[in-house]
Amino acid sequence: MNRFDHQWRKLITLARQAREGNDPASPFGFATRVASLAATMPPASPWIGFERVALRGLLVAAALGVAAIAFDYSNIFSGQTDEYALTDPVGEILDLS
Amino acid sequence: MADDTFDLPGCLERVRRRDQVAARELVEHLYPLVIRIVRSHLPRRVAEEDLAQDIFLKMFTRLEQYQGAVPFPHWVSRIAVTTCIDQLRAQKRRPEFRWADLSENEAEVLDNVLTDAHDVLPGDALAARELVYKLLDQLKPEDRLVIQLLDLEQKTIAEISARTGWNQTLVKVRAFRARRKLQKLFRELQGKEKS
Repeated sequence: MNRFDHQWRKLITLARQAREGNDPASPFGFATRVASLAATMPPASPWIGFERVALRGLLVAAALGVAAIAFDYSNIFSGQTDEYALTDPVGEILDLS
Repeated sequence: MADDTFDLPGCLERVRRRDQVAARELVEHLYPLVIRIVRSHLPRRVAEEDLAQDIFLKMFTRLEQYQGAVPFPHWVSRIAVTTCIDQLRAQKRRPEFRWADLSENEAEVLDNVLTDAHDVLPGDALAARELVYKLLDQLKPEDRLVIQLLDLEQKTIAEISARTGWNQTLVKVRAFRARRKLQKLFRELQGKEKS
């Protein structure tokens, strides 16, 4: 056990001796107020967690899009395009015959 | 939560049918559980009753999503933990930890712990607890929660995992990270002059 562990154990052991109060009952009127408020609220969308992730995903996708354009900038604006050989394998075979 | 005779499944069923009395009973039944979590993770300047109310409202609005995969109190405690963490995150800044922010008792306890000069007295327990909370305030909300449950409340890794929904490896990683940060904090405090 290093010095920090010893110090932390000592402090935390002492802190644990300070008992917090017993679990209290809810304050008067609290449950009624919460139940009434809940009754007026619509159910949460099951997608609520997904929406948070989706927003982050959208931002990441946008950043990737910008990065892709930035890295390919010269090709886009130089007017040069890669020319792919459009070969027809079946045609080539027929030509050979 | 002390009432073992409480018919939780029956109550939930009635709440789903929009029974206001059942909703009140559910709040009263779960209040001790929720307020315990709120108090142990209470963000500064946030009234505990307001935070507890937020947690219960989330519970009611998401009730249809509860599938029974975990016990209902665990499901509610996860909502409570997430709400507290969100609240802590919203506050963003944790002020720098300084000797000057400590009360006389807290500074004395810290001094005794750091210098190991002499044993602290049992009467210093409250000051020690406040001091621990102030130290934990310096951690990320998730890390703080893990250390609090692990060291203060002496929960096992499995129990923390159940309460938070984090897997056990993540809990261990967070505990390790938190202890490293606390160690750094202790070193800094030892290096600083007690004003």
